[in-house]
Parts: sequence; structure tokens; C-alpha cells
Amino acid sequence: MSLHATPHPKDTVKWTTVGGVRVPVHLLIPNLPDPFMDIEDYEPDADLMVLNMGPQHPSTHGVLRVKLVLDGEVCVKVTPYLGYLHRGVEKLCEKLSYVQITPIVDKNDYVSPMMNELAINMAFEKLIGAEVPRRARYIRTICAEIQRLGSHLLWLGTFGLDMGGAIGGGGSIFMHTFRERELLLDLFEDLTGCRFHYNTHTVGGNRHDIPAGWAAKATQVLAVISKRCIEYEDFVRGNKVFQARTVGVGIIDPVLAIDLGISGPVLRASGVDVDLRRDQPYAAYDEIAVNVATDPGGDCFSRYVVRVDEMRESIRIATELLAGVPEGPICSLKPVKLPGAVKAKHGQGVYSSIESPRGELGTFVVGNTVRRQSAIPYRCKIRSPSMHLLQLLPYICPGNNISDIIVTLGSLDPIMGEVDR
Amino acid sequence: MSWPTDAATLCQDRFGLEICEAEGPLVSADQALALATALKDELDFRFFVHVVSVHYPEVEAIAADEEKGIDAIIGTPDHTMVHYRLRRLANPNRSTDTFAFRIKVPTGESTPSLSGVWLGADWQEREQYDLVGTVFSGHPDLRRIMMPEDWPGHPLRRDYAIDTSHFPWR
Amino acid sequence: MGVDQSNQNFEHPLFEYMEKMPGLDLAMTTADKILSWGSRNSMFVFPMATSCCGIEFMAAACGRFDLDRIGTIARGTPRQCDVMVIAGTITVKMAPRVKKLWDMMPEPKWAIAMGSCAISGDFYRDIYSVVPGVDTFMPVDVYVPGCPPNPDHLLEGFRRLQDKIKAKRAGEWVEPETRPVSGMQMPSVPRYGTDRDPAYDQAQLMATQNMGLGGELLAAGVTLPQPAPQPVQSGEGGDS
Repeated sequence: MSLHATPHPKDTVKWTTVGGVRVPVHLLIPNLPDPFMDIEDYEPDADLMVLNMGPQHPSTHGVLRVKLVLDGEVCVKVTPYLGYLHRGVEKLCEKLSYVQITPIVDKNDYVSPMMNELAINMAFEKLIGAEVPRRARYIRTICAEIQRLGSHLLWLGTFGLDMGGAIGGGGSIFMHTFRERELLLDLFEDLTGCRFHYNTHTVGGNRHDIPAGWAAKATQVLAVISKRCIEYEDFVRGNKVFQARTVGVGIIDPVLAIDLGISGPVLRASGVDVDLRRDQPYAAYDEIAVNVATDPGGDCFSRYVVRVDEMRESIRIATELLAGVPEGPICSLKPVKLPGAVKAKHGQGVYSSIESPRGELGTFVVGNTVRRQSAIPYRCKIRSPSMHLLQLLPYICPGNNISDIIVTLGSLDPIMGEVDR
Repeated sequence: MSWPTDAATLCQDRFGLEICEAEGPLVSADQALALATALKDELDFRFFVHVVSVHYPEVEAIAADEEKGIDAIIGTPDHTMVHYRLRRLANPNRSTDTFAFRIKVPTGESTPSLSGVWLGADWQEREQYDLVGTVFSGHPDLRRIMMPEDWPGHPLRRDYAIDTSHFPWR
Repeated sequence: MGVDQSNQNFEHPLFEYMEKMPGLDLAMTTADKILSWGSRNSMFVFPMATSCCGIEFMAAACGRFDLDRIGTIARGTPRQCDVMVIAGTITVKMAPRVKKLWDMMPEPKWAIAMGSCAISGDFYRDIYSVVPGVDTFMPVDVYVPGCPPNPDHLLEGFRRLQDKIKAKRAGEWVEPETRPVSGMQMPSVPRYGTDRDPAYDQAQLMATQNMGLGGELLAAGVTLPQPAPQPVQSGEGGDS
């Protein structure tokens, strides 16, 4: 895929090892900004201005509020404020049974809902000791990859909006990616009956089997999107305006990123080669090779490159798996008629994680030991990657212009439903 | 779940901890900071996964027969159990070892904040303080993160009613 | 506050002058028709998108469904808009902001509650931090149910709003839409209407005006009248 030369040639990068992890040397930042800096300690002569961005702002991707302290156009200090979409999902999980929770967590990461279902059901299966049949594992993996593709498509569209605005030219890529996303939503509508919130995973397998002709249709759609990806590359990657807005903007130190708990494409765009699909295979990833996309640039352009590579990789994985879906049952448990039918055996904490489009999405579940409530979790904690992504802002934003902060925030791709839960 | 042997050895030999096969060692609040520093600096557990506080209200005597078979210990005082989980990233052999430990914090006491060791613990500890009420001493910025500043109570405690009303909005 | 503004007809400022002049009844009716035609076919939409429904709103604005073809355009500021689409869950932390943005919009204005969360709170209606329906603190003209509603349902909601604007301009009585309820518990706060305790309106207004001050209002000694808790209707929903 070299329609245009990439700004970060990989062969000239020097590498070093920090804490057992191989990282590019040129990304290591010696002096990090202090996020807890008292603003009184800044230059007393400076004419500082405080600007609130959000919670209702078109470029904050939801209801994030960011308090910016500005010296002219340059940002001095950033403080994010969360909680404007805190819906008490974890409290609700303590009131519902294991089979009832799936549609609730759909709404957490509303750009790739099936990833939430997969993450929480994997933890429940680990707690309960349920097996997942091979066919269900294949269906889960295919759905996960198509969800990742849809999520990255939406990210690319909204990233265009962040840079250009709807009038300034960013709307073009937005319209294109949403056209492709509709094709994927149609696939899911055929599979589960819903466009958006699917409720298709359950403890021990899936609820919906692949309908007749779905695999052929999905393969066809993926082939179409594969061609369209080349179109995007054609008018985004080599675009001089795009490069001017993204190259060298929002550089993330890989050591800082690991320390902050960043994972997923943002970490891989800083040159760290980590992917739970390959390192800790779940579902059907142990039966297929995953090529992990990395880029040593560490800036917004690298994150674009990594995500576009992941889109191509997702298309490849889904297409290969669609060709060989095994026969068999789709759920190891009997169809559940009562919400209390699935019960936990012990009250120990169990953690399970997957690689969502934004990073490590995990669930920590503690089973209830009171016999009457053994079908209800005692405590359910969702480890959301987006929350850690937002923790980067106080470290990478100081010293940048406001317009660069918006591009940086867009390139991180946080989903506020997942941050606040 | 089997823990990495070097971390288990470190816990047993240097800190004299007993490793629980399912949930990791139970660490006292005094040892937590030393253990965390050793895990990060010596064994390269640099990736912070999560911190979870689980609230256990005081268990009183349970009389009914149908409650038999539970493994809650009767007479346990009101406390929170704080679970930490870490990950070791290693590029050449691509292993992802995880390690977990937990701290028992009686209500009214505090546990040392580990956000100085892993920056990623900063907001998660704030979240657990906000929602469960565990106090992390030494945290640089221990404010509420999810709920409004003047919110009464900690919603994820077991004794907090799910439908608590909040005048004038609900 | 406390008045159901959605049932009042909007009157043009020139109305009283036109009424005094002889023979202008016909012109007035014609002008009303033109104004009605204009306002229902060029709706400036303020997307109050907080969560999942915001993504479906974006999908509705894109090529396949194309919200623009019925004359809407999405703007980022409330001061230019006349239709607010509340798309997503509104929490107690967000509610004062929504109310403030709604008050910023110039008259005449309409509101569409998109999705179950904005209508009634849906899954989260019992949760401590979620407002059980936006109609507990602002008037709503059109309810579009669904979780989230498909974009074509949203289009149908806009069509219903157009019909409503047309009928109101013509001076017809428009039956206010009722919240679609199916075996659900009613919220603890009674909805916007006559059976509502005015203490809620007063406190919401004060909370909006004092936004960002945290608990300083209460600390300053201002005591707000606490309404008596409403007896919860016994619905079939229970704690489903």
C-alpha cells in the first residue's frame, strides 16, 4: 500500500529497550509537563485565559468537558472533567442477572457494541465455567472484526470533521465512511435483527446463528470496503492539508503511555508491538494469525496509519474466517428461559479482557456467595480503555495550539459512554 | 490462573505473603507501596490494568437454613477489598503476564495511593473513591470524578439504594 | 416557568399592528401561511447528542437517509437553532447544561426527544444519576421511541413536527404528544404539566442560574422547598 510515501520511514528508526519493551528512541520525552501544576507558578507576567470546552461541544466526541488554561493561542494546562454521562452501569449490573446484563453493557461503547458483550460474557463464562462451542467462537470473532472495521470507519469520518469541520472540507470523508458503515450495519441487521444494539452474545455462546447466504453477502461487502479503503488512502494519506494538520502533532511517549495504561492503536502508533488478539488469544484468534500493525511515528498521522492498517487486517481476518465457519451448536447452555438460570459457583474475582478498537477492554466480576442471589454478580467493574486515553490529555496538550488539541483529542478516539459508564 | 513465578517468589520470600491461586496475595496496607515499587522496577510490571474496590458490609449472623453453603465469614466487619491488577509487556517474546494483589481496607481507614508508581492508577483510584468511598492516602488530586462535587454518599456501596432521588432533577 | 409553553401559539411581533389596520385579515392569514411554510421547511437543528442516539443522528444526517432533504441543517450553537434534538441519556450532572442551552434558543423553538433514554430514562430510569425523561425539566413536542430509533424513525419524527408547526400556525388546537409508556414505572419527578409541584421549576431555574457553583447555593443559606415524595405507581415493570 504505497500510493504515497509515508512521513515516518521505518528503516531509519533507532530502538531501545525500556522495561522489557522495545520502543523508538526519538519518541522518549525527557521532561513531561506536570498535570498538577499550580497555575500560580506559571509566569506571573503572562496574561492567562481560562476556556471551557464542552460538555456540549461538537469536537469533544460526546460530553467531555475540558478546561483549558491558555497563554494566547498556546495551551498551558489542561484539566478534563468527566461524569456527564455517568449512567451507573456497574450499579445496575449488581441488580440484574448474568443473562440480563448483556443489553445493558451494549450502551457503554456505543460505536462497537458487540465488543462490550464479548468482554463481559467472557468474564461471566470464566466465572461460571461455561465452555463456548467452536462455531460460536468463530461467529464472535467475525462479528468482532466487522465491529472493529465499523468503529474505525466512524473514527475516520469524525476525525475528518474534527480537522475540517462540516463546511471546511472534512465532511467529504465523513460522508464516505458513513456510506460504508451502513453496509456493515445492514449485515448486523440481517444477523441479529438490530441495527445498533444487538444483544446477541450470551453466557456460553450466541443467541443468533448465521442466516443462509449471510457469509456470501458479508464476504462481498468486505470486498467492496476493501476497495474503498484504497480510495480513502488516495485522498487522505497523501493530502498535504491532512499531513500538515497531523504530522508531528500530539506526540505520545511510549513509556508514558504504558505507565498510563494506554493500549490499543494509540500504543501501537507509538511503536509498541502489543495486541491481546495475538498475545493472549481469545475466541477464535488462536486459529488464525494476526498481523499487528505498528508505526514508530507516535503522532496523529501514525494513529491514522495504524487504524487504516487495522481496517485492512480486520477485513482479511473476517474474510478468512467466513470461508471456514465450522458446523455445530452455537451455545453450550440450554436456551435460557429464566433470568436466574445461570448461576455462579464461587465469589472470587475473575478478570477477562479483549482487544477492543480502543484498547484493552476488560471486565472484573465478583460472584455473589449468597445462594439466593447466585445468579447476580456481586460487583462488576468494566476497565475501559477510553478513560486511560483521556488521561493522556494533561501530558500531551500543553504547548500546543487549540486547533491541535482538537485534532489530538480526535485521534485518540475516546467514547464517553465507555469513559463514564 | 497461575501467576508468574518470579512475582510469586518475590511476594513469598521478601514480603512473606501467601499467594491465593485465584485472586493473588492479600497485602497489608503498610507493605503495598514497597511491593508495588518492587513489582514495577525489578520485575517490569509497567502496565496498569485496573483497581477495583469491592464493598463488603458487615455480615451479621444468618439464621435462615436456605442461606447455608455460603462462604462469607459471619462477623466480618464492614470493609472494602481493593484489587490491583498489573500486566508485564515484553516485546521480544510477546508474553503478557498479569499479576494481581489485593488490600483489605476496613471502613474509616485508608490505603496508600499507588498513582505515584503507575500514573494510570490516578483516575481509577479517583473513580473508586467517588463510587465506593475508599480513601487513597497520598493521592495528588483525590476529588470526585463521576458524580457532582456536592453529591452525598458513594453510589457503589452495597447499602446505597439504586433509585436514590436527587432534587430537583430526579 | 411552570407554564406549558408548548400549547401556546407563537404570535409575530407585527400581529397587533396588523390587526388594527382594516382589510388586512386576508394578508395576515397569507403571511401566517408563508411564515409557517418557512419555519417548517428550514429547521435549524441543534443536536444535543450525548450518547448512542447521537451516532444514529449522524447516520441520519449522512447520505443514505439525508436529513437535509427535508430542509434541516445541524448547527453547533443554540442561538441559531429552532429545533433541539435531545439524543441520548441525560444525567443529573448534564441536566442543568441542557436546560441552559434550551433557554438560550430563541423563540419559536421545538424539542424532539429521541430515544428511550431521553423519553423516560429507559434502562437507567431507576439509576441514581439519570434524569427519568427530559420532559421532567423542559417541554417536549415530539417523542421518537426506540433504542436507538432508526434514522427513518427520526425522519418520521421531523415530519410529525412539521405537521405540528403547520397546525399551530393555522391556529388549530394541537393535542400535545404524550410520553409513550408501556408498563413502566412513572418517574419520581412528575412530568412537565399541571400536576407538577412548582418547587421543582423554581429549584431547576435556580440550579441553572447558579451552574458551576456546586453547593455554594445551599451553603449560602438558601433553602429550597423540598416537595413531598410522590407515591410510586405500581407498574408491571418492577425492578426488571
